[in-house]
Amino acid sequence: MFHFIGLLSPGLMASTFLYQPTARYSYGIDVPASSRNFGSFSLRFLSPRFPTNATRSVLHPSSLSNSHSLSSESESSLILIRHGESLWNEKNLFTGCCDVPLTKRGVEEAIEAGKRISYIPVDMIFTSALIRAQMTAMLAMTQHRQKKVPIIIHNESEQATTWTRVYSGKTMQQSIPVITAWQLNERMYGELQGLNKEETAERYGKEKVYEWRRSYDIPPPKGESLEMCSQRAVAYFKEFIEPQLKSGKHVMLAAHGNSLRSIIMYLEKLTSQEVTDLELSTGIPLLYIYKEGKFMSRGSPVGPSEADVYAYTQNLAVYRQQLEEMPH
Amino acid sequence: MATEACCQAIGILQSHSFLNNFNHHQKLQINLVKFVTRDCLSSNGLSSRGSNYSGQRNYGIVRSSASQTSVVDPVSSPSRSNTGETNKKSSEAALILIRHGESLWNEKNLFTGCVDVPLSKKGIDEAIEAGKRISSIPVDVIFTSALIRAQMTAMLAMTQHRRKKVPIVMHNQSEQARTWSQVFSEDTKKQSIPVVASWQLNERMYGELQGLNKQETADRYGKEQVHEWRRSYDIPPPNGESLEMCAERAVAYFRDQIEPQLLSGKNVMIAAHGNSLRSIIMYLDKLTSQEVISLELSTGIPMLYIFKEGRFIRRGSPIGPSEAGVYAYTRHLALYRQKLDEMFQ
Repeated sequence: MFHFIGLLSPGLMASTFLYQPTARYSYGIDVPASSRNFGSFSLRFLSPRFPTNATRSVLHPSSLSNSHSLSSESESSLILIRHGESLWNEKNLFTGCCDVPLTKRGVEEAIEAGKRISYIPVDMIFTSALIRAQMTAMLAMTQHRQKKVPIIIHNESEQATTWTRVYSGKTMQQSIPVITAWQLNERMYGELQGLNKEETAERYGKEKVYEWRRSYDIPPPKGESLEMCSQRAVAYFKEFIEPQLKSGKHVMLAAHGNSLRSIIMYLEKLTSQEVTDLELSTGIPLLYIYKEGKFMSRGSPVGPSEADVYAYTQNLAVYRQQLEEMPH
Repeated sequence: MATEACCQAIGILQSHSFLNNFNHHQKLQINLVKFVTRDCLSSNGLSSRGSNYSGQRNYGIVRSSASQTSVVDPVSSPSRSNTGETNKKSSEAALILIRHGESLWNEKNLFTGCVDVPLSKKGIDEAIEAGKRISSIPVDVIFTSALIRAQMTAMLAMTQHRRKKVPIVMHNQSEQARTWSQVFSEDTKKQSIPVVASWQLNERMYGELQGLNKQETADRYGKEQVHEWRRSYDIPPPNGESLEMCAERAVAYFRDQIEPQLLSGKNVMIAAHGNSLRSIIMYLDKLTSQEVISLELSTGIPMLYIFKEGRFIRRGSPIGPSEAGVYAYTRHLALYRQKLDEMFQ
């Protein structure tokens, strides 16, 4: 069952920051009114099942079984990438939802991450509303072997939707929609944002700070607890990302330590104790396979330069082979 | 929900809010803007300096080291601090313009316009190169368009900056956005460079050509028609903007939001697109519409202007720090660079 995705894309420009479940998911293509049925609209332009290029038969796992229907045997990949070093990480300041960009090192980490996932199919990208996650996704995708182009979707306003419209069906098919969502933002750190760890320990006391940083449900003043962060991140994942996976789309998610831990908590059914101990490396992508409603962790893909012949699943191995056969 | 008018309002609101956020003791020098514009452009006409300009202008030429004469500016005020504090009397401010580099659709030869397509590997390198060239020029505030390729260009360029202030993107879209992105340390705020993203600095909106390749388009509409849309001043492609329309909203934004910053002594960087920057240069250099359509702007090569006493003085393209010139754009900038050198010794 294909859900049509109502979503909001609050990027960095004039946009509403509030969650609106009924927002339309407009890919900006000019289609006749009669076919504005979102089920078929989305399938026609977003589904990898109908590309016109030669690799059509391989790009979607279900097509390997010569079936174009949504079979329950379809599997899709989910890549999670935590962004790398930001300019405030470097200065040891609490960042939270302050929109601070990557350092040189963070840029390199993103590119490295991209090399590791260069053979894994990506049909859609979700990022937070913060530039460090968006840059991580865009930098990583410059390394991708498949030559589809990421395009950030803008739905903040009528003008934004109209102005970003694409008028070629062929170009649309070669595009990977990028959705930005504040619900994937880093945990909001309230009054600690911008403070350094020294300052904070002095102002509030060491134990208090430790508690805020490491507990599950105690928020810093005016901030979010990990629990609160999980709530909005997982809700977003279940409502908007999971349906994509269910329909066979391969998804990449570029976000932050706490929003990703929250999602992993859901994927792997962790307890609140387990999640507070979960450390996520920066810039190292994590791969999950979604199949028959379940998420299977497949660790971190190795880079193409490494001597492994790592086949995550048969489908992915075939995909990789096809990419290697394509000229590039 | 938000209409076009609302978009404009929000665009303006963004900048106003950023000033409040950072508690700068600046006043928006609206009065001075009027003063400045007395001998500048009216909203659609431009004064002509026909004889000074000829043919195609390429702003990408690096100024040769032959021009090593530093401009001797009578410095009647004490040397400006690195935090860009208000210094109205003989304040001068630097304005850096950077056009983003290659995007993934440039690579594929597709008309991009306002479609939000990111940089290619080459575009990333260009941004970093541009950053090296401006690494010793002060930056207090950054303006970009609403499109990721310009924003990435700015952020990548700033990773090369020597000063070590941190760019922070301003969020004013809603109460929640504002609250969530709040900074709670004064010291940190002082070490921050606000980044304001505005659709008014976007590339010219190309309407029904967006996403088409140049061949497809010539087939669909005919070569002459396409050439007309691309190169005329006031003929828009179907459902798109003409260069004139683009200039209108870009220059209006520049005058309302950016010029007051320069007036108050802030050093500004603008990372944007071919057409929005040409529009602004048209205003800065008082070009005619004929002159602006033959204006070519190199990608990734920053352009420096000095704003002083209400006038914009073009200072070409800064050379990289590795190049052997001892280029002092102005005495203030030379002092700034010297301070940086001392910091990093």
